Amino acid sequence: MLRVLSTEWLKIRRKWIWFLVVLGPLGAVGLQVVNYGLRYDYLMALYADDLWHGLTRNVNIMMLPAMFIGLAILASLTAGIEHQTNAWKQTLALPVSRSSVFVAKFVLTALLLFVSSTLIIIFTIIFGWLLGLEMSPPMTTLLQAAYYPYLAIMPFVALHTGLSTIIANQAVPMTIGIVNMMLATFSLWMPYWMPWIWPHLDNRYDEPLYSVLAGIVTGGLVLLTSLVVFVRKDVR
Amino acid sequence: MIAMLRSEWMKLRRSIVWVVVLIPAILVFAVGWLSGMAEGGGSWRDLLAVVSVVHALLFLPLLVSVLTAFVCRYEHQSGGWKQLLALPVSRYVVYTAKLTMVALLLALIQLLILAALLITGIWQGYAGAIPWGALFASVLGGWAACLPLAALQLFAAMWLQSFAAPVAIGTFFTLPNMLVINSKDFAPYYPWAQPTLAMMPGEQSMSFSAFGIASGTLPIVILVSFVVFYLIGWSYFSRKSV
Repeated sequence: MLRVLSTEWLKIRRKWIWFLVVLGPLGAVGLQVVNYGLRYDYLMALYADDLWHGLTRNVNIMMLPAMFIGLAILASLTAGIEHQTNAWKQTLALPVSRSSVFVAKFVLTALLLFVSSTLIIIFTIIFGWLLGLEMSPPMTTLLQAAYYPYLAIMPFVALHTGLSTIIANQAVPMTIGIVNMMLATFSLWMPYWMPWIWPHLDNRYDEPLYSVLAGIVTGGLVLLTSLVVFVRKDVR
Repeated sequence: MIAMLRSEWMKLRRSIVWVVVLIPAILVFAVGWLSGMAEGGGSWRDLLAVVSVVHALLFLPLLVSVLTAFVCRYEHQSGGWKQLLALPVSRYVVYTAKLTMVALLLALIQLLILAALLITGIWQGYAGAIPWGALFASVLGGWAACLPLAALQLFAAMWLQSFAAPVAIGTFFTLPNMLVINSKDFAPYYPWAQPTLAMMPGEQSMSFSAFGIASGTLPIVILVSFVVFYLIGWSYFSRKSV
């Protein structure tokens, strides 16, 4: 498994993909730099009782839609190498099981998204310091704000790993990714069992961990289903 | 030119692009239906205001990037650019034909949106006559506001081989809309915010004798950004080595 993963790693080395992994969080926090720059007095007064919390919430507004499309883009790019060069036959002809190839693609996408989530925290802290907020940021809040949505979004990471590898035309996963982002952005009217609302960590028990748990379990199920489809699929 | 358009058309026939084109109308219909239900009977004006946010704020600009990547997809696969440009057609014709194709697809999206709006409104029995002028102005304005974005995305789609990369560029510029749209100072000058501004019903009554788009900075920003993006894309493509 580790060796398959390292070949996947090789494929994305020195590619655009790293640029995107950094660009996403940089954009999400960068927008808040502009936002705070323009409305500094208003925002500082609005969140006066907990400035770090206010900043985290503002970053999160941009982070969730960016994650939904970002994961679709990352999944498409990691699977795209084989589609573009018609290399699925070559990749699968290697003495490795199909399922390990598939799982490696999933792990790679999940890892890249993890790096982005981590960068969000780092950039937020740097920006908070530049704003002159207190030196010790509330780490629990910051970690939860980034990693809970990351875990709750796992069903979509699994879904897009499946879509991007199984369907050759990447317009399909990209469009589905955009539709998912739309549904998630306007998802607050949704009943709590729908996965689009989970990354908002909003559920009827007021316990974000339930959303996280639902995300991990469903993510596992979606991964398993896509895996079965991928393994039985004929490749060109 | 006509022959080139016909060849572009043949590449798109029987492709998944028609499903993509249909999705916004379905979404608008669903949203219009839900918002009408929630408030106990909506109005044409409310419907248009909701649609200009739900459809035009993020979805439409992002779909522009998908559609432009789509019309370049065949060429990026297995050396299609070489084959296409080896034909006795000028690069200018190829470039313009692709952009025209995207514009036509966008027009189809907007027409389907119009149909979805009409069905929602008539079905839910909104009071008053159908404000044809306002509906046409909104749909047409949204279309025109997408053309500069299409020109820029065509540049990205021709430049980058992967399908997802131009979509990433489109996303990078589109997501800031969520903040930009709140700013009265910046929104009128940000090309990606123009579709929402153009589709938004006017401040005045629902008479809409004048096109909403024909007022203020909107048409100028759209025109200037279109010319700039078109020239960027064209100067790149005319020198692109394939």
